[in-house]
Parts: sequence; structure tokens; C-alpha cells
Amino acid sequence: MTLSYVPGDSVGHRLDPRSKLLVQVAFAAAAYAYTTPRGLAVLTVAAAACLLAADGGLRDLWTYRVALPFLLVAPVVAGATVGAPWFRVERATDTALASYRVLLILVVAAAYVRSTPVRESRAALQRTVPGRPGVFLGAGVALVFRFLPLLRRDLLTARAAMRARLGDERPVRDRMRIVAVAGIDRAFSRADRLGTALVARCFAWNPTLPRLAFRRVDAPALAFAAALIAATLVRIA
Amino acid sequence: MATNTESVDLVGDEAATNLARAALFAALVGAFAYVSFPFPVSPAPVTLQVLGVFLAGIFLGPVWGGAALVLYLAAGALGAPVFSGGAAGFGELVGSTAGYLWSYPIAAALVGAIVHRGAGLRDLDAVSAPVLVGAMAAGTVAVYAMGVVGLYLTLNLTLAEAFVQGAVVFLPAEGAKMAAAVGIVRSDAIAAA
Repeated sequence: MTLSYVPGDSVGHRLDPRSKLLVQVAFAAAAYAYTTPRGLAVLTVAAAACLLAADGGLRDLWTYRVALPFLLVAPVVAGATVGAPWFRVERATDTALASYRVLLILVVAAAYVRSTPVRESRAALQRTVPGRPGVFLGAGVALVFRFLPLLRRDLLTARAAMRARLGDERPVRDRMRIVAVAGIDRAFSRADRLGTALVARCFAWNPTLPRLAFRRVDAPALAFAAALIAATLVRIA
Repeated sequence: MATNTESVDLVGDEAATNLARAALFAALVGAFAYVSFPFPVSPAPVTLQVLGVFLAGIFLGPVWGGAALVLYLAAGALGAPVFSGGAAGFGELVGSTAGYLWSYPIAAALVGAIVHRGAGLRDLDAVSAPVLVGAMAAGTVAVYAMGVVGLYLTLNLTLAEAFVQGAVVFLPAEGAKMAAAVGIVRSDAIAAA
């Protein structure tokens, strides 16, 4: 099961997407500034609160299982040494704390993904990045969300067709080539049709966006972000 | 909805098509993350993501190839499940995989600039195989160099440990990807480039 937006009415869902983005940035900065057992203990509580505020749970974190082996192996690699004493605990502890900090940042990101629909993310992006780059990013991100499932299915179809013709017995590079050629071919034909359709429907540099406004519910989130940023600055200074 | 009283400023035909291609390529790199091949020498299954990065540079050129990968990162940060294993979220951009992800737009632009000799596009049939392989080798170096530095910075490893964990185990598969990419560029099936 992949992590994705789930409609709901939690505090997280009612926040302005821009405050949620700010909290994520502030949280990441604080996690890097306070990579100590005590700092991370406090941040663990904060991360869990973020996830709960978005009505999330442990099942939302399952999507990050791919990152786990990496994070678990890192302390072992850091601690191992050639020759006596073979394993240095303090190096392993350092890296274990760093791994855990990455995990916490992922938890907060999961809360955002779970509670923010695509059109709000797009509006936040377009209102934060000014001018045409903002429109390019906003429209492009919306199109990526829209076309990702279609292209995934194209690739699965190509792979199934290859298997049906005993393509599994070919060398890896041939299999990669067959699947990728089919994927690119479909992507280009979809892109050209989409380009024509965009022009035909008066695709503009100044589209109308959903309204975004900071409300009373945003105040605690903004205060939380400000506190994290202040704490980070204190640590750096 | 917010109201907007300015007159409509239309996007030109060429820019609209380029934007559509960049967005579709970004989605394709995301879709490639789900296609993994077990590889004999490599302990980790190999996905086609890096291949998608090279191909974005080759087919879209340095400017739009790089832009496509910027879209990929933005979409992933805002929650599209495009990172490896279907992960998403801003955390990936500052976590242990940060180095690899940030290197993608740079690697795509680099590959595109070498293949097309500058910012413009040239006919891919005129590009020789050694140039393609050289460009992808440069792209691979960019991806793994930044990936290893990313591991070094985020996980407090030494550079040598980061290299063992983040590059040595993945490098054998890169050769297969380059061979596949040359075959793809030479394929007659892709007419749109």
C-alpha cells in the first residue's frame, strides 16, 4: 500500500498547505541541529503528534520500508573497523542517531502527504514560487500526479507482454530496453496529445487557482514552526 | 475559487508541448521506480530510475530534461509516490537518499549537454555510441558522487563507508543500464524524438 492523500476532517486536513510545508522544513532543520538522544526524544513526540493530527497511523509509514534496510545497515557499517577493536560503539551510535533523525523527518512528511490534496499542493507551490517558473512547477506537478498511474500501467502491460513471449529468458539489458522503449513510446504519444489538448483549451500562464487563506487553525502550526526555527538558530549561533 | 480579472496570457504551442513532455517524462521516471529487475551481481534489486534520468537528458535535451527532473522532485516532495519503492514526501529530499535525488536534474542536464553539445537539440541519429556512453558515464559519476556525499552528510558515515554502502553495491548494474539506453536511442519504435 502506498502513502497517498486520504480525505478527512482532521486538524491536519484543515491547515493551509503552506503552514504544513513550513512545519516540515522547520522540523528537518531542527532534527539536523539537535541530533542528540534528548533532542530526538522531544522531536519523536512532535513527529508523532504531527502524524496523529493528520489522522495517520503506523500503516502510513509502511511505504518507507524501502528506506529501512539502508538506515539499519548504516550504523553497522559505521561501527565496523578493520582490526581491533573491530566494532566502535560510539561511531555506530552517532550514525544510529543520524538514521533515526531521517526516520522522524519521513514521519512528518507522511503527515503532509496524507492530509493534503493535489490541488492544494499545486496552489501552494504556485503562490510561493512567483511568475512563470511557479506556473510551470504547479501545472507540471499536477500533470505528474495525473499521469503517473497511467504510465505505471503502460509499463506493467509491456512487462506482461514480454513475459508472455518468454522475454524473461533474455539478458537483463534486453529486458530493460524492451520495457523502457514501450514506456517512452507511450509517454511521448501521450505528451503530444496532451500538448495539443492544452493549447486547444487555452492553457494560460495565469490560471485561476483554488483560494488559499491562513485561518485561526494555522496559528498553532505556524507558532510550532517558528519555535523549531528559533531553536535551530539558537543551536547554530 | 479566487477571482482573476487580468486578461488571459496564453502559453505558446511550443512551450505547452515541451511542458507536457517534461511532465510526462517526470511521471515516467516515477513509474520506472516501480519496475525492478533482480540483478545477478547486485544485492539490491535494480530499478530503471537512473535510466530514466539519462533518457530525459538524451531525448529532451539539457534544458527540458533538467526541468523534467525538477518536476519529478517537486511532485515527489508534494506527495506523488515517485521515489524508489513508491515513497513520497519532502522528507526524502533531506533524508539519506537526498544526494541521489538532488543529483538527478544535474545529471540529466549534464547528459543532455554532452549529447547535444550545448543547449539546443540535435538529431540523435547523428550522435555516435561512444558519445552516448561517455555522456551516461559522466551522468553516473554525478549521481553516485552526490549520492555518496549525501550519505556522508546525512548519516554521519565516513566517505569510504558511504562509498561502500551507497555506490559499490549498485555500480555493476549501471553497465547494463547504459547498454539498454544505447539500444533505446537506436530503437526505431520511438518516433517522437
